[in-house]
Amino acid sequence: MKNIVSISTFGLCAILFSGCASINDPSYGVQVTEMRADERGFVAGLGIESQDMVTIAEKMARGMLSEEAIANAEGKPNIVIEPIINETRFPIAKDIFLTRIRVALNSNAKGKMNFLARDRIDVLEKERNLKLSGQVTGGEKVQANEFKGADFILTGKFQGISGRGKAGASDYVLYTFQLLNPRTSDIVWEGFHEIKKQGRDDISYR
Amino acid sequence: MNPARAICVLALTLAACQAPPIRRAPEYSSDLVVEGKRLIAQAPAKDKNLWRLRVALIALKEDRRKEARELLDQALPPAGTVLSGDATTKRARSLFSPEETKIFYGEPYERAMGWFYRGMIYWMDGEPDNARACFRTAQLFDTAPKSGHRGDWILMDYLDGLASAKLGSDGGAALERARTSAGDIKLADYDASANVLVFLQYGYGPLKKSGGDVGEGIVYAGGYSLTQSAVVRAAGRDMAAPALDDLTFQATTRGMRQMDWVLARKARVKKTADIIGEISLIPGIILTQPEGTRDVGLALVGAGLVAKAVGGSTQPRSDTRTWNNLPQYLAFASMRLPPGKQLVEVDFFDEHDNLISALSRKLTINVKPKGDTIVFVADK
Repeated sequence: MKNIVSISTFGLCAILFSGCASINDPSYGVQVTEMRADERGFVAGLGIESQDMVTIAEKMARGMLSEEAIANAEGKPNIVIEPIINETRFPIAKDIFLTRIRVALNSNAKGKMNFLARDRIDVLEKERNLKLSGQVTGGEKVQANEFKGADFILTGKFQGISGRGKAGASDYVLYTFQLLNPRTSDIVWEGFHEIKKQGRDDISYR
Repeated sequence: MNPARAICVLALTLAACQAPPIRRAPEYSSDLVVEGKRLIAQAPAKDKNLWRLRVALIALKEDRRKEARELLDQALPPAGTVLSGDATTKRARSLFSPEETKIFYGEPYERAMGWFYRGMIYWMDGEPDNARACFRTAQLFDTAPKSGHRGDWILMDYLDGLASAKLGSDGGAALERARTSAGDIKLADYDASANVLVFLQYGYGPLKKSGGDVGEGIVYAGGYSLTQSAVVRAAGRDMAAPALDDLTFQATTRGMRQMDWVLARKARVKKTADIIGEISLIPGIILTQPEGTRDVGLALVGAGLVAKAVGGSTQPRSDTRTWNNLPQYLAFASMRLPPGKQLVEVDFFDEHDNLISALSRKLTINVKPKGDTIVFVADK
């Protein structure tokens, strides 16, 4: 019978001590790891992430450069990149997408394309006006209108279908890009990329 | 007495009379956001998001958009984040820790409200497409299992459609969904040229309380608003802003949480262990008295103690941490005003359409020459 009492005492102690597990258990921490931007990390979610951006930018750049109108263009066509239209449920920093695409195009095009900083037109106009008014030097070099017109306009649109329920959440995002000829309104080139992701919150948050 | 000894005794006596160090009372400023940030810094990691949300709303009410934006961005995981388990969620599910051990992200209505305010700030920043993305994410959190209650925030759909209309696409489907959710409340057609958007909120939102036999459930109480509607007046025009979304309704129609099953299991363990402890402890003590039954009595006492310890250590308590400065109702009005300084008057009305004169406001707003001007008005 002494055994029963001992077992009971042991059990009691075990229960009491089990509540003392440290919340700062290092096994739950992860060291900082440096990754490539196109790698999927352990904190990946259902949204638009860096690896998607890199994949899409590279794919669109390759697609565009293989297009006949660009590949066989005489001289360097002038391209304006329009802000992306985001119709998904994910807020995005549009500038970073445009920058990544421009960089991908520039590095792949090897000088075949010329990009116009239309998104900075306010700053450019201000500088030109300062020169023309003589407030700063260089006004004598400014011609009537030197800002270039676009030979092509690159537009992008992100659209999504999202679902959420007991079983988890899923997000499908369709990324489409079009290269437009502003003179004729022709769609010179069109490319797309689609990604579907699904996941489920930990049971504590469901 | 030896003089040296006397000096020693005197020195020791005086040393004992040293005044305690003066601890100055902490200095509090009247700046609620600064004080809120102090509370965020002091809060344990699991509660920081809760405080960030509370302080973000205070900052928003005080027109401190930058601070509100920063706090919301810290508190809300990026849209699409899958909330994964960690040490805190493991503990929250364990028998011997309460649910509130986990990091606070809020119940679906609280998460939706976080995204609603973030969307409003995006719109203030001149990014209606990102605002629309936030309203869509907010609506998606409403995953009530009961048909008819899923995705039924009126304003999220209405603003989704309005943003689309303003961006030159069709917001008709979203408006239709908003009207279905609104029922008898009349929602105005979109006016894409309206450049002043007034977001209103009324009353005090719901509070969470423990429910069930041993606190394993969540009960919502406290949601109340005297204001039921408002009239926004500017440039000789009146715009009605009836209460559209009811936060208590949204909180109470989400249905059973998955976590409720875990808490129900904890509650069963606690209740069973308590019963076993009670029925074995007293008979055990009695049986230890006679020599012949002492061993059996000791075994029963031992088992009773273990059961009592298990029952006492089991923590089935639900997480009742609440974003407690949310409103009871959300409302909205839009109008077209010329750029520059404009006077906007807001009158609030009770359920019998009586004016609540103490709440009336006169605001001078600066209407932007380009894009939308967002006005946020809270009656509390």
